[in-house]
Amino acid sequence: MAGGLVSGLLHPVTGIDHLIAMVAVGIWSAQLGAPAIWILPITFPLVMAVGGVLGVLHVPLPMPELMIAVSAVILGVAVAARLRLPFAAAVLVVAIFAIFHGHAHGAELPRAANALAYGVGFVTATGLLHLCGIGLGTLTRWPAGERVIQGLGAGIAGIGCYFLAQGLGAVA
Amino acid sequence: MKLKPVRVLMAAAILLTGTGAAEAHIVAARLGDFYMGASHPLTDLQDIVLWIATGVLAGTLGASKGRWLIPVFPVGLLVGLALGSVFGNVSTQLADATMMLAIGMLLAAAAQVPTLVLCAIAFAVAVIRGAANGAELGPETDRLLFAAGLACAGYGLITLTMALTVVFKRTTDSVTSWRTIAVRALGGWIAAIGLMMASLVLAS
Repeated sequence: MAGGLVSGLLHPVTGIDHLIAMVAVGIWSAQLGAPAIWILPITFPLVMAVGGVLGVLHVPLPMPELMIAVSAVILGVAVAARLRLPFAAAVLVVAIFAIFHGHAHGAELPRAANALAYGVGFVTATGLLHLCGIGLGTLTRWPAGERVIQGLGAGIAGIGCYFLAQGLGAVA
Repeated sequence: MKLKPVRVLMAAAILLTGTGAAEAHIVAARLGDFYMGASHPLTDLQDIVLWIATGVLAGTLGASKGRWLIPVFPVGLLVGLALGSVFGNVSTQLADATMMLAIGMLLAAAAQVPTLVLCAIAFAVAVIRGAANGAELGPETDRLLFAAGLACAGYGLITLTMALTVVFKRTTDSVTSWRTIAVRALGGWIAAIGLMMASLVLAS
């Protein structure tokens, strides 16, 4: 049981592309303010679990690894540019990415793991990453903090670009 | 009084044999099964997640609705335990996952669940978990002591969780206060865990 919990906890944290995308989601929702900042932590894990179900059942999604890299790029750019999408559009973007991220977690589930322990671990880790992002996002209250956040967003987009290039085969 | 070496030796011998006798006595009195019943659910992640989810749901609905669970939940555990010995070893994983999903969704939606429905949900959870705990009973286990321990653990955990939730999420809190959001987010997590678990159970 402990093995399932640990692998669930570590899975979202060990993939850099996952990690930065989750933090970016948190920061972006903090930038958007209410209602995004409180809708996100409630619904994101659930939408991600839907993706997880697809992954466990091995329902194929188009280019999953590439989409995760793309999600890091787009979310990073959104944070850097302080992109203010209408609420419904922002939800749609995040929901699509959530399904892809969940799919990766479900598909890569170690067969021997305890199902419940793995679920508890991976939902908790993802939630904590969002919390990190939302915490960082509160820096936007100060003008200097706003610049730091935008720099962070640019950095996330940059790392996302690297993974995207890797996924396309440009970088070995 | 002057102690003679022989008497000291005798006393020591009695004391030494006495410790063994005392231990044997506790086991013979079957106090062990009470503690087994009380501690068993606390070592099981399914029990922990579901009991806490039930307690939090009751707590968010307020003390006047929640206090019905103080008798309903332990009684449900006892009913489940009795049913479990009738049906034998049936896997409750899918039922557990479904209950997690349902309770998590209700929490996330901040639904105003009527008292009767709340009691029905809590009773269902208790029966399922009682049956699952009963499946672990050995032939030499004292049923009565195990059941008493299980009911006490259920009573304690559900009451504590409800009380903590009532204190944490005050009824005066607005819809957008961070305390309300935190409880609803917890519900979203529980529902997500239930959904993942259901799919893993169905896939395996």
